[in-house]
Amino acid sequence: MRSFVNQILVAGCALAFLGGPAVGAEPARRIDVKRLSKNIDDVVVPLPNEIFAALGKLDSVNWKEFVRTNKGTNFTERPRIALLLGTVIADGFIAVQAEDAPSVKDIGQRVVSLAKGIGVGNSIVPHAKAITEAADRRNWPAVRQELDRTQNAVQQAMNEVHDEKLSQLVSLGGWLRGTQVLTSVVNRHYSADGAELLHQPDLLEYFQRKLGTMPEFTGPVASQIRTSLQEVQPLIESRDPISPGSVKKINDITSRLDSAIVTRNQ
Amino acid sequence: MNAPAMRPTLSTARRTALFLGLLLALQVAASRASVDDAHSFALQSAEPYVKQGYQVREDYWGGDLGVGEKKAVRQQLFKGNDYWFWMGTEVEQAKVSVHIYDADGKLCEQPDSWQKGHFAAAHLIPKATGSYFVIVAVESSPEERTHWALVYGFR
Repeated sequence: MRSFVNQILVAGCALAFLGGPAVGAEPARRIDVKRLSKNIDDVVVPLPNEIFAALGKLDSVNWKEFVRTNKGTNFTERPRIALLLGTVIADGFIAVQAEDAPSVKDIGQRVVSLAKGIGVGNSIVPHAKAITEAADRRNWPAVRQELDRTQNAVQQAMNEVHDEKLSQLVSLGGWLRGTQVLTSVVNRHYSADGAELLHQPDLLEYFQRKLGTMPEFTGPVASQIRTSLQEVQPLIESRDPISPGSVKKINDITSRLDSAIVTRNQ
Repeated sequence: MNAPAMRPTLSTARRTALFLGLLLALQVAASRASVDDAHSFALQSAEPYVKQGYQVREDYWGGDLGVGEKKAVRQQLFKGNDYWFWMGTEVEQAKVSVHIYDADGKLCEQPDSWQKGHFAAAHLIPKATGSYFVIVAVESSPEERTHWALVYGFR
């Protein structure tokens, strides 16, 4: 009897040592999200193509009309360049949606020149070359991946030299341009599902918080962005469907901001 | 007479500082390398899905966790897209998990989400656009702290 008990004990210990079953324990069906606050990372900023992918499934979008290759203005202020860089990378994703190879290549060159303007050009030259090659082959998934790599390389290079704030401005520029295009499409052919894609209150709060840590980012564009985000907040934070009127308002606001970001006299 | 005696003391202090600095740099490099290794394993989990048309984002999230410790990554997801989150660690004897909860804290992942030792993946087709919580955990590990990395893809 004692030997049998010993065998059971040994088997039990062995099972415990091996770490139990291959498939994990059942996850909790519900968690208290308020208790997560101490151990939670900032919201992850989606790439513009993530929003475009969702939008493209709802409606047939004529992406060609949103393609923009205008070489635009050259700035010397690093925050302005960072914002513009984010916007131009978003333009790259739009050109990919439109499958417009010449525009993609132009945008790739523009990204390199802007990145050089803030001292991170070297980190993206290989990606810009890969964008051109993939665009020549009309390999759109590869172009998307290289645009993602470009943005990531730029932001990593900025983070490495402790320019995290510039990196956040790149994300903000991309998000604003993405939101402008999203609202343009939904404004033209309103659908509740399309409008729902604007339900991004945590992202908006994240950008507002980050801008709050940048008192040195001043000037008309900076204050226009701060005011505009405050105007947009009540329009998208409700869980109720976002109305056609709100979509139009957000489109007006983001169009104004986009124009301010790409032009010098702001 | 004091000066010659001071010289070796300063040199020793300098050498010790240099050694400690080097040790710290090596430790930082080793820690980074391990998160990078964890990233490679997370990407390895994602590989078969790329063939199914998922675009895997270049960016990734990582760090280290003790056994039983959890970390939440807040994520904006869009209705209409189909998402997979893949987690990995280089500690092969470890068991990790990843699960997705909606903004109200309700488990919302698809039933084909899986966990296999030092790999885990969670699948979500969001019913609504908004914020979600991706919770990563190290369930068991021979290490005191286990490096982890999380990548995601969508289509």
